[in-house]
Amino acid sequence: MELTLNINGRDHRLSLDPRTTLLDALRDHLGLTGSKKGCDQGQCGACTVHVDGRRILACLTLAAAVQGRPVATVEGLAHGDKLHPMQAAFVEHDAFQCGYCTPGQLMSAVACVHEGHAHDRAAIREHMSGNLCRCGAYPKIVDAIEDAAPKMERG
Amino acid sequence: MADDAGRLYGKPEVRIDGAAKVTGQARYASDEPVANPAYAYLVTSAISRGHITGMDLAAAEAVPGLLDILTHETVGKEAKPPVGPDQKPTTTTLETTQVWHDGQIIAVVVADSFEAAREAAHRVVVHYAPETPSATFDSPGAEAEVRKTDEQHKDPAKGDAPAAFAAAPVKIDARYETPTQHHNPLELFTTTCVWDGPKLTIYEPTQTMYGLKAAVAKQLGMEPADVRTISRYVGGAFGSKGAATSRTVWIAIAARRLKRAVKLVPTRDQAFTIATYRAETRHHLQLAANRDGKLQALIHEGWEVTSRPSSYNVSGTETTARMYACPNIATKVNVVHADRNTPGFMRAPPDTPYMFALESGMDELAHELGMDPIELRRINDTQTDPVDGKPFSSRSLMKCFDAAAAKFGWAKRDPKPGAMRDGDWLVGYGCATSCYPSNIGPAAARLSLTPRGKAVIQLAGHEIGTGAYTTVAITVAGGLGLKVTDIQVFMGDSNLPPVPVAGGSNNAASTAHVAAKACEEIRQKLALAAVQNNAGIFAGADPSKLRLTDGALAGPDGRREPLETAVGRVAGGALEVHVENVPEGLPPDAAAGLYQGKMAMSRGTGRKDVTAYAFGAQFVEVRIHALTREIRTPRIVSAFASGTIVNPLTAYSQYMGGAIWGVSSALHEATEIDLREARYVNDNLADYLVPVNADIDHLDVIFVPEEDSRVNPLGIKGIGEIGIVGMNAAVANAVFHATGKRIRKLPIRIEHLL
Amino acid sequence: MRPFRYEHAADRAQALQLANGPREATASAHITAPIQYLAGGTTLIDLMKLDVMRPEVLVDINALAGQHGAIRADASGLHLGALARMADAADDLVVRRDYPMIAQSLELAASPQLRNMASLGGNVLQRTRCNYFRDPSWTACNKRHPGSGCAAMDGVNRKLAVLGASDHCIANYPGDFGVALAALGATVDIEGAGGRRVLAFEDLHRLPGDTPHIETNLKPGELITGFTVPAGPWTRRSLYLKIRDRQSYEFALTSAAVALDVEGGVVREARIGLGGLAAKPWRSHEAEAALKGRPLDEAAAHAAADAALAKAAGHGEATFKIELGRRTLVRALLQAHAMEV
Repeated sequence: MELTLNINGRDHRLSLDPRTTLLDALRDHLGLTGSKKGCDQGQCGACTVHVDGRRILACLTLAAAVQGRPVATVEGLAHGDKLHPMQAAFVEHDAFQCGYCTPGQLMSAVACVHEGHAHDRAAIREHMSGNLCRCGAYPKIVDAIEDAAPKMERG
Repeated sequence: MADDAGRLYGKPEVRIDGAAKVTGQARYASDEPVANPAYAYLVTSAISRGHITGMDLAAAEAVPGLLDILTHETVGKEAKPPVGPDQKPTTTTLETTQVWHDGQIIAVVVADSFEAAREAAHRVVVHYAPETPSATFDSPGAEAEVRKTDEQHKDPAKGDAPAAFAAAPVKIDARYETPTQHHNPLELFTTTCVWDGPKLTIYEPTQTMYGLKAAVAKQLGMEPADVRTISRYVGGAFGSKGAATSRTVWIAIAARRLKRAVKLVPTRDQAFTIATYRAETRHHLQLAANRDGKLQALIHEGWEVTSRPSSYNVSGTETTARMYACPNIATKVNVVHADRNTPGFMRAPPDTPYMFALESGMDELAHELGMDPIELRRINDTQTDPVDGKPFSSRSLMKCFDAAAAKFGWAKRDPKPGAMRDGDWLVGYGCATSCYPSNIGPAAARLSLTPRGKAVIQLAGHEIGTGAYTTVAITVAGGLGLKVTDIQVFMGDSNLPPVPVAGGSNNAASTAHVAAKACEEIRQKLALAAVQNNAGIFAGADPSKLRLTDGALAGPDGRREPLETAVGRVAGGALEVHVENVPEGLPPDAAAGLYQGKMAMSRGTGRKDVTAYAFGAQFVEVRIHALTREIRTPRIVSAFASGTIVNPLTAYSQYMGGAIWGVSSALHEATEIDLREARYVNDNLADYLVPVNADIDHLDVIFVPEEDSRVNPLGIKGIGEIGIVGMNAAVANAVFHATGKRIRKLPIRIEHLL
Repeated sequence: MRPFRYEHAADRAQALQLANGPREATASAHITAPIQYLAGGTTLIDLMKLDVMRPEVLVDINALAGQHGAIRADASGLHLGALARMADAADDLVVRRDYPMIAQSLELAASPQLRNMASLGGNVLQRTRCNYFRDPSWTACNKRHPGSGCAAMDGVNRKLAVLGASDHCIANYPGDFGVALAALGATVDIEGAGGRRVLAFEDLHRLPGDTPHIETNLKPGELITGFTVPAGPWTRRSLYLKIRDRQSYEFALTSAAVALDVEGGVVREARIGLGGLAAKPWRSHEAEAALKGRPLDEAAAHAAADAALAKAAGHGEATFKIELGRRTLVRALLQAHAMEV
């Protein structure tokens, strides 16, 4: 089917099998490989992106179902060379190891702050629990979010 | 002057690949762009023992976009059988009609799109002649044998352990069990193959660039030079990517047949059966001590499951026999063959299961003696290897216990089990020894330095999350007197000089030493040229006294010559060296073997001069709900002494991740096997539990300073694996302290405490 | 995943038309139905990838959120549109204040991402997590293939049902929100080709009996449009307690949904649901009756828990859940009683 996806502010016209998930559309059809496939069944969070400003799992979302709705991926977080405060905090705090879950963690972390769930460590931990990190970077992810949240609010 | 390579060690440095990882630009194998790929999808067996009698492919072939279906009949003879992680025969896949285990690859479907490939794979109908399988220990038909000893697998023994055990006044005689566990790195076991004439490029996440290259070349009857492996970033490995697996050659053959790139991204459940895992183990541990706590006998017998054709085993008695001073030691390991895939390396492969037994046993013994468990370890601490009397290169075990105990607040522990409580929650404190042998291998690297003070180092290293790019950069910056930001590091490509498998915690030591050696060669070349140049400021000076520092060649008297001059003297664009480092004790041909993907390793337990281990102490507080018995771990404290710490920032992450793995292993992880069918059942990330963010609260890692000039010149011990080793027992010991209930089988779950 | 036609419904009328087309096949909640409604997709897309479900047409009903996405409370109770997302209801301040059990059942479920995706209507229809059901390479599953047997009965079954199961199926209902709806006596609004009807939520799901493949009493083509939770003096003193191996992002081993109307320490009315334990969202009228008119102390809580699990039957590994279920309910009752309301 023919469809248009709006990714990071840009429209992309695509011809896709209706079965194509948003994740596969991003990775295999648009070359946006930042969003990762860790389970392809909604269990790991590595494919987390924003649709309509809310974090969702791209692996359980059909591309066809997000036509006309803005999609934001990790590739759209930084402004040119300037990292988003959350990205900078992840680097500073070493909030990752292998880095594979990181794009999903970042998209979740930004949403976690926007949702108002970053007010204390317990809330962050709970609201970041949909993103598995097999390397075990969790405490540093919480550190990074605590650090970045006020910086995000300052804009 | 090699010391200069360590000049920047111990100072936290953010990852030089950090920006790439947080922007989505870091390319993992399946992210590599290839032109017009076809998509592969695996068909795997639904039985675990028997033969394939036929396949009905008509429905699959009718799927629009289908390109090819590889089966035993079409391609079975095109590849030689694979070898297992121990380089010995293992289970096969398409080579024959035989099914060795559940989820074995039996066909590869290739189509124009991922969607079509998946649909066609689901439409393949397989006919089997099944046989009754054996799932695990105690299953009818499982075959046990005493593990043969070889270079890597010995049975440490000393004195007359049975007699000493019989005679001793205080003893523990207990059996422990650990479950099947799967690494479950978040990155799937992907493979992309691209042919260019006779040359094959493989994009696959691996911990062994040259090992994978050699294995595939051998299976396909190719010249290794015609195979290139690329793996710039690995999305978690933990041992699972430490050896070649069967999938790769079939994807290569599929690409060859189609004359088109073929990309495989397998499913999560396939990850349980197309790669390796940590096999379930059993232990019979007998410990005997005098009333003062001094150990008199240690008898440790282990059993490990493996596949039918492989005798892969981990034999952690090599470690448990060496932990404490003990005059009488006996050990033995058995393997049990079942209808399972072949196990392999998983984070601290021998030490994690075997130390669970020993460190639980030590806690039981302390309880029996009425002695503090830390004091029991202190009484039996030793600076010499109890098995063969060699000195430990260094051993700071009790310093670790003291540092961690202080931070943890061990003194507040009421030793009586079940005595501590906070509201509705029972509280328990537990601790255990952690350790990991210090290994180092040969390595090669190419290093270039420009007159403008920029360096490029190239080596086929592996970034599996350890921060390998950054440790190499820190070493080169130190060695050449530059800033870390002046160093570019290229890794993850088998066209670059080889380094060993990123396993056994050898990576930092192996790569740092070759990088240091490369820097030293560059320094020597510059120094020699400088002293031989009559017009230069160092004319006639002693070249060994000249150092590279702060972007200059400097003499002992403070005179400095800018790099522009020093390098410009010998090179126009860049000065480049290719170096190989063979650690002391390894044969000189170890470097040559490296290029053929062979792994020579100076192992912490196999050296002539010393026994080399890193040590640590791990503490955990468990809270168990008095009524519903959920088990939580609000506080984890670990202290480690691992010699020189290259980068404390990433080292902390490694230790921390290891400790979280330990909690995960103790409380969560277990692959459930259907005993009737010998099939993995909970093969997904919702049912194979690993901790989520909410499970980990306060976690501290203490670096206990340790200088070790005997382990290797830079004093580097590995850190990637030690973090997990003590935690299983620490948690079990804490659960005992909280409840009075000793759980000897992992994972510890609610139902064990109701 | 088998090929399907993707249809986008602009409103309810179009959705019903697309799902009740001229073809003899019509949408239904049954696994084998050729037409399926697609909302959040968190169950459906997952099971299609696993080849468990093979619909030929997907009717995307997300655009119905305008008609059926509201969250509203009035004197009669709480009205939840079926297209409201789990996160919306969990975060709603009125829901949190007046129906804490509902809010907790939602926020303790799944992950933030899944809660943003999953609709309330879809959530109550989520399917069992029984591994033997979810993997078609297991041939014996009466839910997938009636008459084929139940591989779980003597297999790996730690998480499966101890209440309401049958000799044909021991799958458990994995959800949380549905348990709260059952406990509070909610009703479900259903639209079909024949018009609107209202069903007691307790009657939405069926016990497996000898037809475990028929999971609900929805008729072909029917669509859930909303839920009403009746108001009552017990809704504020209510909670949802979920017991699981890890702290978050895991299906319940056991859970208890408890609402109490207590006057002078005596229980006037109780509403009790159990999760993780049963073949469907489970309301325990037995436990409610055991509490009515009694002072809520430990003995009463234990009596209620014994009544709730009296008919429980364990299979293999899951047997421990009978005792854990009792304890979960005891803890939830004591905790609800202690609530400051």
